[in-house]
Amino acid sequence: MASIDYPLEHPKAEALTPEFSFSESLYKWVATVDHKRLGLMYVVSALVFLVIAGIMASVIRMQLAFPLNHVVGPDTFNRLFTMHGTTMVFLVGMPMVAGFSVYLIPLMIGTRDMAFPRLNAFGFWIFLLGGCLLYFSYIGGGGLSGDGSAPDVGWFAYAPLTEKAFSRGAATDYWALGVLLSGVGSIVTALNVIATTFCMRCPGMTLSRMPMFVWVMLIDAWLVLVALPPLSAAQIMLELDRHLGANFFDTQAGGSAVLWQHLFWIFGHPEVYILIFPAFAILSEVIPVFSRKPLFGRPAMVGAVTAIGFISLGVWAHHMFAIGMTSWSNTFFAASSMLVGVPTGIKIFNWTATMYGGKLRMQTPLLFCIAFLLQFLVAGLTGIMLAVAPFDWQLHDSYFVVAHFHFTLVGGLVFGLFAGMYYWFPKVSGKMLDEKLGKWHFWLFCIGFNMTFLTLHFAGFLGMPRRIYTYYPGRGWDAINLIASLGVIPQAAGILCFVWNIIRSSLRGIPAGDDPWDAWTLEWATTSPPPEYNFEKLPVVRSSRPLWDLKHPQDPDWKYE
Amino acid sequence: MTHEEHHGEAGERSQEAAIVLPGPTFWPLVIAFGITLLLAGIVTHWAVGVVGLIVTFRAAVGWWHNVIPIEEHEEVPIDPELRPAPIQVEQRSVVRLRAGESGHRVRIPERIHPYSSGLWGGLAGGVAMAAIACLYGLVAQHSIWYPINLLAGVVIPGMGDQTVEQLRHFQMLPFFAALIGHGIISILVGIVYAVILPMFPKYAPFWAGILMPLFWSGLVATTLSVINPVMNERINWPWFVVAQLGFGLVGGYFIARSTSIRTMQTWTLAERAFVEAPGLHQPDEGKHG
Repeated sequence: MASIDYPLEHPKAEALTPEFSFSESLYKWVATVDHKRLGLMYVVSALVFLVIAGIMASVIRMQLAFPLNHVVGPDTFNRLFTMHGTTMVFLVGMPMVAGFSVYLIPLMIGTRDMAFPRLNAFGFWIFLLGGCLLYFSYIGGGGLSGDGSAPDVGWFAYAPLTEKAFSRGAATDYWALGVLLSGVGSIVTALNVIATTFCMRCPGMTLSRMPMFVWVMLIDAWLVLVALPPLSAAQIMLELDRHLGANFFDTQAGGSAVLWQHLFWIFGHPEVYILIFPAFAILSEVIPVFSRKPLFGRPAMVGAVTAIGFISLGVWAHHMFAIGMTSWSNTFFAASSMLVGVPTGIKIFNWTATMYGGKLRMQTPLLFCIAFLLQFLVAGLTGIMLAVAPFDWQLHDSYFVVAHFHFTLVGGLVFGLFAGMYYWFPKVSGKMLDEKLGKWHFWLFCIGFNMTFLTLHFAGFLGMPRRIYTYYPGRGWDAINLIASLGVIPQAAGILCFVWNIIRSSLRGIPAGDDPWDAWTLEWATTSPPPEYNFEKLPVVRSSRPLWDLKHPQDPDWKYE
Repeated sequence: MTHEEHHGEAGERSQEAAIVLPGPTFWPLVIAFGITLLLAGIVTHWAVGVVGLIVTFRAAVGWWHNVIPIEEHEEVPIDPELRPAPIQVEQRSVVRLRAGESGHRVRIPERIHPYSSGLWGGLAGGVAMAAIACLYGLVAQHSIWYPINLLAGVVIPGMGDQTVEQLRHFQMLPFFAALIGHGIISILVGIVYAVILPMFPKYAPFWAGILMPLFWSGLVATTLSVINPVMNERINWPWFVVAQLGFGLVGGYFIARSTSIRTMQTWTLAERAFVEAPGLHQPDEGKHG
């Protein structure tokens, strides 16, 4: 081993970073336009909402643990599953997308900030205030009796249940307006990601040399830009219905409830991919580094993610097989839904091929990736099953569907996000997360997750409908629900391990150094945590693994790319 | 040799004392707050909306002045404490895989058998299998028609009602049904053999001839009660397995004897593009089948 000579000596100069008082520090955070601070704020906010939504899910499982249980009332139960779903999708998943993007993309493409730093700040604040407005409904929702009332119309808020006649008070308005505001945040962040990626890459970083993470998040940003406006439009139409009598979705006045379903799912299905893409992006960075091999089939991976982006815009009505569409529509959406399995399969195969023959380092980030591969495979296969229209007719709105999308969004997205957090925490904080606690987190969460959601597939097969408040004993659902509810305990213990790990490691963790994983992308070329300006001089790259080139000057990648 | 000359500049030092970055501003927060109030006015009180409108307008003006005519910036001093450590050069070299390299085990079949060999091999195996089945009929039931009529039960449900005596006699419709069904399945399995035979290790015809019939027998044993209940009740499993092995060994032998052809994966780019030039093609490759 030898070190590369630098043009300047490494001086032991005095630190120029001043110490700030609390109020000054607060101002630095509130007024910041730095992509790293905003990225952190996104992720921390999302984690807070994750804990809130997790507590809601725990209460839901407590209620369903035993037949004829009465932990909460039916109205509260309806609010719980509505707020849980809405929070997880719009206040956990979407800000995680934004947080990982805005923190990492400028570092990975070798620039100092996002293309529109102030817009970046606006995106974060409008998302956070949208979330606050949604939760303010608990106080100001104005239910039937005038007291606070959270929304209770489900996370996809089907019409005509959301019309004034069936949803009194303002809870549904809070849902529409809160989600609308956080959606604005997602749209402006997507614009920012696209502009940054296209306009601010460092010298030498052609599109073909761009890190896979950036590629996936770029496609993700395009999807957000295309998919989210229909939902925003539908929410504005809903508000016009509720306040100005527009009757877009009022079936009794000539409106169409199916129109809402189309508008919602035109957003809703690409949204699934919008949410899972960050996990794809994280896996594409973590698996190669922990397998000590370049990503297998990189061009095919770019092609696959682009194909998924396109195809996912044409599958939305597979959520609507049960409404009675024409057989041509059913056939089209069944076929397109199955088609999306092809590029997704390519990705799964390529990640596996990357690991195959590699020198695997079985540390926490890779463990989460491996669990992702297996669980997302199950989610994909049950997705293909549900894409078959007659099969969907049998299991529509059953716990099979609940299990399927939790395998996608928890078994897939959340596991992927955890892999990313363990991978980049050293870069963000300068400290290593404790490996032992990390493994406890992984195993507890993995076992608990499968206890809960693997079993719920069978509840669905046995005919248990989703969203029911309680059930009679003797239908074959009792044991399944008890196991599923008991699975919450190890999951919660796993999350506690994670939170404790973050707190403990932030305070007393082992210093990480700049490049603890011996990785290959540019963010590891700067200090941990990175300075405000990211790089003293903007880097110049010649391959898709610039740090590999620096570490292996005799055998750089650019000779082969 | 410095890496500046050859390897890019990640983590390099600047001679400047400070770096210019966009200055902090609270206007994005204020405008987001104003818009939130504006919408909250719909569900709370109109006065909240009016306050939101005023806040939004003020914040928009503030933001405008923040970027026009000149964007506000701040100079962030370069902190020597925050300089990354020098990157360690790894002396160990990595062996790279090159296409066509000798000694590398190519996992895809480099050479395959033509589909036609699968067709003929399947037919030959089918004849061998039928011969063994008829031999069983002669030995066990004194009739070569017994196994044929049993096989016809796959597509003719009425065969289940026939007595053993009836099954021993020749019947025209069951004969043709069994012949066509057996022929088609034999050809299809033969084609599958032709495709997968090159993927087997050494002594491919032997392994394929043994393993595949055993797998097939296992599959049939678990599903026959659904596919052909008549046959399931009366089948003699040892003879069945022997008949399958007969198919596998004879079919595999026929296919293995055929001339194998190179897959396109091993061709050069010029060859794949069908460029015709002197010296480009090796004479005995038989790559075009």
